[in-house]
Amino acid sequence: MALSFKLLENVFLSSKCHRQNALHPFCGPLLTNCISKLYSSYRRPGTSPDNTPLWKMNFSFENGVDWIKKNFGLLKKELVDHVKGPEGRGFEEYFLEQTRVVWEFRSQKDLDEWVVSSDAEIGGKSEAYLKLGKNNQTALLFGTLSTEAPRDGETGYSGYCAIRAKLLKGAFDTKKYYDWSNFNSLYLRVRGDGRPWMINIYTDPYYSHQKDDLYTYFMFTRGGPYWQEITIPFSKFFLSSWGRIQDDQYPLWLDKISSVGFTLGDKADGPFQLEIDFIGLLNDRAHTEEFAYEKYERNPKA
Amino acid sequence: MNPHANMIIMSSLILGPMITITSSHWVMAWVGLEINMLAIIPLTGQTTTTHEQFEASIKYFLTQAAASSLLLFSIINNVWNTGQFDITQPTNTLSSTMMTAALTMKLGLAPFHYWLPETLQGTTTMMTLILTTWQKLAPLTLLMMINQSLNTSLLVTLSLLSMMIGGWGGLNQTQLRKIMAFSSIAHLGWMTMILTLSTKLTLLTFYTYITLTTTMLLTIKLLETNKMSTAMTSWTKSPMLNATMMLNLMSLAGLPPLTGFMPKWLILQELTKNHMTIIAATSAILSLLSLFFYIRIAYYSTITLPPNMTNYSQQWRHKNQQKPYLPLMIITSSMLTPIMPTFMMIL
Repeated sequence: MALSFKLLENVFLSSKCHRQNALHPFCGPLLTNCISKLYSSYRRPGTSPDNTPLWKMNFSFENGVDWIKKNFGLLKKELVDHVKGPEGRGFEEYFLEQTRVVWEFRSQKDLDEWVVSSDAEIGGKSEAYLKLGKNNQTALLFGTLSTEAPRDGETGYSGYCAIRAKLLKGAFDTKKYYDWSNFNSLYLRVRGDGRPWMINIYTDPYYSHQKDDLYTYFMFTRGGPYWQEITIPFSKFFLSSWGRIQDDQYPLWLDKISSVGFTLGDKADGPFQLEIDFIGLLNDRAHTEEFAYEKYERNPKA
Repeated sequence: MNPHANMIIMSSLILGPMITITSSHWVMAWVGLEINMLAIIPLTGQTTTTHEQFEASIKYFLTQAAASSLLLFSIINNVWNTGQFDITQPTNTLSSTMMTAALTMKLGLAPFHYWLPETLQGTTTMMTLILTTWQKLAPLTLLMMINQSLNTSLLVTLSLLSMMIGGWGGLNQTQLRKIMAFSSIAHLGWMTMILTLSTKLTLLTFYTYITLTTTMLLTIKLLETNKMSTAMTSWTKSPMLNATMMLNLMSLAGLPPLTGFMPKWLILQELTKNHMTIIAATSAILSLLSLFFYIRIAYYSTITLPPNMTNYSQQWRHKNQQKPYLPLMIITSSMLTPIMPTFMMIL
């Protein structure tokens, strides 16, 4: 049934988009430089569409064999991890851990897990770059923010830069999630330049009408040479959708976290810099708040 | 919820399965299933504390609606082939296969089980109780009524798959409601295994399962624990209930001499009598997977106590919520095996 749905989806795609999308499920791994389009057919604005004709695409059976080996290896690891315990770690470790480092930046491979974006995608003039810091111990996000709106006749505002962790993928590109239900706070060791940042947590809900939902909170950096250790409880994160804070607020769903991101959009033109040592989790037993925002009835009964 | 709406919904929830159970016409049975489904949907999403509940109710609705439409299609196909709507009359192969698929989807049997853990995790504990007990009544009754038309090989395959997936899936779960979902899948496997050979045993297994699951979920509700981490420190609320929870878990696992052993014993005996020894042995081995995670919950909640270090703060004991029927249910879920011959005579 799943196969038939997939085939139908591809028939629809092939009628609307380039035939490469239709061929992808069958021979995608065989194509050299084939970017996985299983999550979406998003193409970054400003990049030209890929209209390579069929006879010019490079098929490589080596790629296919590597893909099969990699995915079956991942499947085997998932099966073994399933027996070990939650997320591949034993139950004793799961119950006794109070802190966990999720992302640290020690090599280029760690940087490749993040995606940098800015309003250049919509025609803006901001720039953002991510590189390893001194002695390969940190990640340095730097660039220039520009609030000059693109002159396309429809965009009124501009000026943002962001990084976001790539989504976790399991065997055969299945979605995987982080389970942070054992923790109650996000712990960051950063060194900023005094600018306020937004931290976004994406929980990848099941239904597509909620795909723009983000949980957001603010990170105020001090600037200066000293490192800053910021603890933000998950109870403080508020729900926003498509950039708008929602009236109905819900606590963060900690066992289905997909991604974390940092966004700068403080409307202050000029250079910026954020150095990140690591991003971790903390089980702060002193923090007992479940959710910081009260839910109110929009039409209360008299 | 508005008390009038609540009254209509609760009466529909009770009426739906009653219509299905008492009907001999396929369309009436289907109508009963629909009434039941439509009544439970607002209950699953009634509280607005988390958006998980909305997601759970939508998932439940979509799955049940798909199963209902497949069932209706199979009914129409059956009528087209046989010319009658009587449930007790034999159906043709295609219709019975589609009915099997539809009803197993409603029950949450493998391979149509994916919705069950997510839905039970998203709803409240009382809704979990209703979804795992009351909601199984109507589809299982229909399966029992059409058992002579069902394909034994298909049912045995589905049940072995359910036992395997129920045991495998629950292995590294930390959320108690998800564990109960996988437990439900495994137990449904045992029920459907013996369906074509002895419907009485299916009924006995179902009653036992309802008793055990109800006791377990009421215990979870009283202890106000949803995760294994909070179950570890729940002994402060009610040490006696914590101890009986361990007995209940062992009964769910099917350990003698507790109640849960009784249906498993009888099913294995019936399978052996029908020369299905290998299937009986496989079922017994697959139940070890479920046994593992039941023992793990019992170990972490009851057997480990301070001064062992726990990562979680001890919970305050709130006002004592007394449930007068719970002691009787605990006794029923633990001590019925010695009076097994009585059940055999009654059934």
